[in-house]
Amino acid sequence: MRLKFIDINLAFGQPVRAGYRPAFTAGDVRRVMKQAGIAKALVWHVAQHDLAPADGNRLLAKAIAGASSLWGCWTILPPQTDEVITPDFFRRMKRHGIVALRAFPDYHKFLINRVTFGRFLDEVTERRIPLLLSLEKGGITWPAVYQVMADFPKLTCILCDIGIWGVDRFTWPLLETYPNLYLETSLLALDDGGFESMVARFGARRMVFGTNFPERYPEAGMLSLIRADISRSDKQRIAAANWEVVLNQMRV
Amino acid sequence: MKKTQHLRTAFFSRRRVPDCPVYDLHGHMGPVYGLHINRESAAQADAVLKRNGVRLLVFCHHAALLCPDIGNAANIVAVRAFPERLRAYCGINPNYPDQIEKDLTSFDRYPDVYVGFKFHASFHAIPITDARYEPAWALADERGLPILLHTWGNDPQCGYTVIRQVAERYHRAPILLGHSCHGAWDEAIRLVKDFPNVYLELCAVMDERGILERFVEELGSTRIVFGTDYPWFSHHYYIGAVLGSGIGDEDCRNIFYRNAKRILGK
Repeated sequence: MRLKFIDINLAFGQPVRAGYRPAFTAGDVRRVMKQAGIAKALVWHVAQHDLAPADGNRLLAKAIAGASSLWGCWTILPPQTDEVITPDFFRRMKRHGIVALRAFPDYHKFLINRVTFGRFLDEVTERRIPLLLSLEKGGITWPAVYQVMADFPKLTCILCDIGIWGVDRFTWPLLETYPNLYLETSLLALDDGGFESMVARFGARRMVFGTNFPERYPEAGMLSLIRADISRSDKQRIAAANWEVVLNQMRV
Repeated sequence: MKKTQHLRTAFFSRRRVPDCPVYDLHGHMGPVYGLHINRESAAQADAVLKRNGVRLLVFCHHAALLCPDIGNAANIVAVRAFPERLRAYCGINPNYPDQIEKDLTSFDRYPDVYVGFKFHASFHAIPITDARYEPAWALADERGLPILLHTWGNDPQCGYTVIRQVAERYHRAPILLGHSCHGAWDEAIRLVKDFPNVYLELCAVMDERGILERFVEELGSTRIVFGTDYPWFSHHYYIGAVLGSGIGDEDCRNIFYRNAKRILGK
């Protein structure tokens, strides 16, 4: 039987810099998902990174309205500037089908720590809303990841695009220490033996499937997982079930 | 001719596709400073290759590139332990000309081990045009042996400007552009158009969706070879990426094995 895939790391929109072959619209994303065999996806709009989170968040909400196979992921900024986080923030998330958050502290020039995000990330932690942090895309550095987890040790945090070179020396200490920390698999899938060593050390529960489409080919991470030397049930956990658990625990 | 994509279905439904072997022309072996390698040893590599249907891995041991005190002995030991699926590039470190002379003098003692040479000018911080590489270039060119270059953009050690300078001088040795001058895709394409012995290699190219399609559209697929940097990266990740690009089966076959077999004289 085929694996069910849910992709938590998909983007669309016209990027400011041409390079990879972009997916212009949510419709483009859905077509590629269908072709590749991806059932559902957590998506974001590149303007949330390239232009401004508030504008990107609006574009995203509009684009995924009524699309049952897509969940949305908004980008946050420090609460103090009122650009994104307003008193009705969680209500707006719910209204627009937003189930996760992203932050790009390096690119958007802020620090993600208790000083900046104390009460807000305490509430995100309480509501078990997943926060996605990208180690590429000018997202965040490893010391900053260590800091945010030290400040919010129960935060549901998913590290995305974890690095081209194997990063076990960074991620394994975090996984040992913080039980709600997960790795998105688009670059773990690139490591030879990446899935096998993670399952052997931490079990299959700490990974959620992602492809980083459209920068990368969805089939790459899919075939790497399909051919990994781990059990089929572990593959299914990684491909979809772990995300479904995270989603079911989330309360907006 | 109609473009077929049966290989995509085949690789997604079976671990190995017997009529489509994979030749990986860009590999390594052993531990390395910047990352934890899950499968370092030749025995582990051989088991993975066998299990995944990779017919041959041509590699240069990290020790041959980064530890002159061990050098190419690591390549020889690994290939001789697992000769069915492993061959090596003789690593050339221009910081040690005396060692180069020894390696070239003894090169013919290891016809079962070496297929050609590997230059990693970025590690060694000496441009590929430097005279200290000359003896290896000359031997490879005389015999038509492949040289795998680490290449990146227009890096002064290993970018498209210096590649052009060596390609103008050496016409017989297949020059494999590891990473295809990553990021300088137009210049990489131009090099292949200008020099019939220059080939593009796909490791890290597949980081950017759409580049392989451009290569195939502009050059066809007979000058592109498959490589992964194994054991850094997974064969099936790269196989999936090539299949996901949507190029046709005949192009995939050229990339997965036909071009490599031609270069290696198999």
